[in-house]
Amino acid sequence: MAEERIGVYVCNCGTNIGKIVDVAAVAASALKIPGVAIARSYKYMCSNPGQEMILQDIQENALTRVVVASCSPRMHEATFRGAIKRAGLNPYMLEMANIREQCSWIHDDTAAATEKARALVHAAVQRVKFNESLESRSAPMCASTVVLGGGVTGLTAALELADAGQQVYLVEKQDHLGGNVARLDLTAPYLDSAQNLLRAWISRVERHPNIRLFLNSELTELKGFNGNFKPRLRTEDGESLELDAGSVLVCTGYKEFDASRIEQYGYGRLPDVITSFELEAMLRTGKLQTKSGKLPRYVSIIHCVGSRSKQFHGYCSRVCCTAGLKYAFEIKSALPNTRVANLYTDIESFGKGCEDFYRKCSEAKTSFVMFAKGELPSIREAAPEDGCGMLITLKEQLSAEEIEMPADLVVLMVSMEPREDAAEVAHLVNISCDKDGWFIESHPKLDPVATTTDGVYIAGACQFPRDIPESITQGRAAVARILGKVAQGKIAVDAVYSEVQDKLCAGCRACNSLCPYGAIEFNSEKHVSHIISAVCKACGCCAAACPAGAIKVRHFTDEQIYAQIEGVL
Amino acid sequence: MALRVNPDLIDELELFGAKDVAKCYQCGNCSAACSHSDDPYVFPRKSMRYLQMGLEKPLRSALDPWLCYYCGKCSDQCPRGAEPGETMMGVRRWLTAQYDFTGLSRMLYRSWSSELTAVLGVALLTGAGFSIFGFFFGGGNLSVYDGPGAFLPAHAIHVFDWTMGAILGLLLLINCLRMWHFTMRNEHSVPVPASMYLHFLPLLPLHFFTQKRFRHCENKTPWANHLALVLSYLTMLVLIMVFLKYMQAGPQINWYVHVFGYLSAVGLVATSIFAIRGRLKRDAAYHRHSHESDWMFLGLLLFVTVTGILQHILHRAGLPMAANIIYIVHLMGVVPMLGLEVPFSKWSHLAYRPLAIYFSQLQQAAQAEKTTNLVTLQPRA
Repeated sequence: MAEERIGVYVCNCGTNIGKIVDVAAVAASALKIPGVAIARSYKYMCSNPGQEMILQDIQENALTRVVVASCSPRMHEATFRGAIKRAGLNPYMLEMANIREQCSWIHDDTAAATEKARALVHAAVQRVKFNESLESRSAPMCASTVVLGGGVTGLTAALELADAGQQVYLVEKQDHLGGNVARLDLTAPYLDSAQNLLRAWISRVERHPNIRLFLNSELTELKGFNGNFKPRLRTEDGESLELDAGSVLVCTGYKEFDASRIEQYGYGRLPDVITSFELEAMLRTGKLQTKSGKLPRYVSIIHCVGSRSKQFHGYCSRVCCTAGLKYAFEIKSALPNTRVANLYTDIESFGKGCEDFYRKCSEAKTSFVMFAKGELPSIREAAPEDGCGMLITLKEQLSAEEIEMPADLVVLMVSMEPREDAAEVAHLVNISCDKDGWFIESHPKLDPVATTTDGVYIAGACQFPRDIPESITQGRAAVARILGKVAQGKIAVDAVYSEVQDKLCAGCRACNSLCPYGAIEFNSEKHVSHIISAVCKACGCCAAACPAGAIKVRHFTDEQIYAQIEGVL
Repeated sequence: MALRVNPDLIDELELFGAKDVAKCYQCGNCSAACSHSDDPYVFPRKSMRYLQMGLEKPLRSALDPWLCYYCGKCSDQCPRGAEPGETMMGVRRWLTAQYDFTGLSRMLYRSWSSELTAVLGVALLTGAGFSIFGFFFGGGNLSVYDGPGAFLPAHAIHVFDWTMGAILGLLLLINCLRMWHFTMRNEHSVPVPASMYLHFLPLLPLHFFTQKRFRHCENKTPWANHLALVLSYLTMLVLIMVFLKYMQAGPQINWYVHVFGYLSAVGLVATSIFAIRGRLKRDAAYHRHSHESDWMFLGLLLFVTVTGILQHILHRAGLPMAANIIYIVHLMGVVPMLGLEVPFSKWSHLAYRPLAIYFSQLQQAAQAEKTTNLVTLQPRA
């Protein structure tokens, strides 16, 4: 270890670090640590000149290891690993000291912050001495994909993949394709027919040589890992079928809220209180009438049924404002003498072309009636002398009056909610659900269709309420991710993963169920646990739990961590 | 007790000229822009809401629409083109019809053809009536315009105009009482003691003669025009009701009376032409929309003024017969204008607006007294 020559690079990050931490002093003190050959500070280490400086130093001063004291490794670890790799070093010979997020951004005392930065750099230097050269590896990538769900998202994705020449297994639980969109009449805001939209796609899917369609089927098991999954289906005939697939795309969609849960709306009790989907069916058949066969003179559309409420779903279902306006517009067009009211708490028609649609509805004299969250309207049957079927009472917010509105037909804009089998599906494909039950994406902004399980993607309304264009966009985004992997032909496996040392493993299996990524399998022949390196994320749960200390996390070895702890003290 | 909404109210009001209220999404820019809007009379927003919601009862008991002078700033500020100014105008027309116990107002406002028929009918009756009167009961000679033996002698006309004044006044008074009943005697209004009514009474003539609240609108031109019109009109009214004999005398010019006549005639012609021109050009928010009743009002006003001036000129030009004929034509404008417009249409606002200012201040004073038990608000000019 005596011959190690370590370079330490302390970044000003403009003024982000430099205005609190005395960067030059940190560099100067680093130079005194045994093994440090060179220590410099610079304005922006991540900039091209900054990287160039490191590269040059490595080559000219024969550096063997590098410490960069700058921002969080989440930000620039890959950048600096790349830089030292270009200079001929193994990328794992890098250590970062986070003196921005963990130091300059959270302290205002220059002297103390500088002292802390010095300690963090010291720790990094001590640790980097124990870093080992690691090599990334690769695994084969199977080009075919299993698409779960034959709704608008699944259809889009299946066609895109199949058109790109890849094999697709499209699995649909129901006996027909189209999902919830197949239940709609016209789509907002341009009033295109949902049926027309689906028909072309469905017939193409049914005939496509690269798509194998499984109706009335479901996934029962998913073994394997990214690029090498072994999905097992239960098919229409009750057979169990194992397939090979490199990727799994989950687009299982949503279901609607059960409106009878809101007692005062009277759904199920009052015959002319219907859900938005029931109205869609009426519009589709052209029979816009009450249960007794009369044309409705007064129609009220109640928004946020189950959405944005403390009691039911806190989230917004996003599509119902515009859908409600669509109903108002369609009803007004079909029955010009009918009075249509939208009862809402907040209303926003956010999509492209939707604001114009909102204006159109208000110009068509749709009335907009505002009630308070938590003070829901209540609906009751009217008396014969009232001249209407039902009466809705509510506290109207904008006029501050307690009002009573006539209604012949009430449409409940039911919220979207996760399907009842969402948790089961999540478990099968090893992804997680949020508190509401929606599938969780890898990153809500930066990685919206991937999941924490590599090779498993989610798209459309199974991850949150989405409208049709968004679902389609997501389906295609997932396809782009899959085709990207297929194009590479191989799965890159990170060099950082956990390993079981077979000789030490007692086969207690304590780690097996702990692994959040399902990366550990048990080799019953050898009676030891085995970690699939392609699946492992090196979180370290298994290593911490192993009573025999048989599991080693590469790049996070005991000696590396002890050195770092001692270094900081 | 929940208020039953009338979803058809918005259609009813459309006939009164409030055509764009459905576009309003209640942002409140209109009320923020208005220099008169103040708690508890937050307008136009609140009235627009009542109208959108079909809340007929609160709308009927609202004073707010009368506190608006339609300077048009709200309409200029409205992001949705909901024309709050014109909506308030429409509500005022509707309120006029609501206050009117005969139901005639509603008929005239809602239908252009019935208004036209009524005006023409009354005009023809007037023409026939005064011709018959002139020939058989008056002077009998169409070529005598003034003095003894005049075709339409001033004393006889006085009997007619005072009678008509009394009838119209009575009709308007009944409608004013109904306004009081709707606005001051509803479940939200505070009872006002009689002494307070008396104490605040000077507000009525003050606002009637000065229109001073109108001056608080940011745009002063409409106020100046309106004041010129009001003063010209009142001057002319006094001249006709009291000094007709001197007005009719001639052919010499009686400067001590006629100078007032000239001034007010100039005022009436100028203001009505200004308004007609503005409405034709749609040069400002308050001229952008014209209900049939607006045209009728301006048309009759200009007609009456011009025929009045014309008979004066013809008389001075030594053409008494032509002057008499124009006199009858003039009366054919005056009688429908006053008879139909004062109690049943646009002219009625001469009473409703000062009353609304008076009532609103009474309400606020009574409310203040009720809540604090100490303060009595003073009338605010």
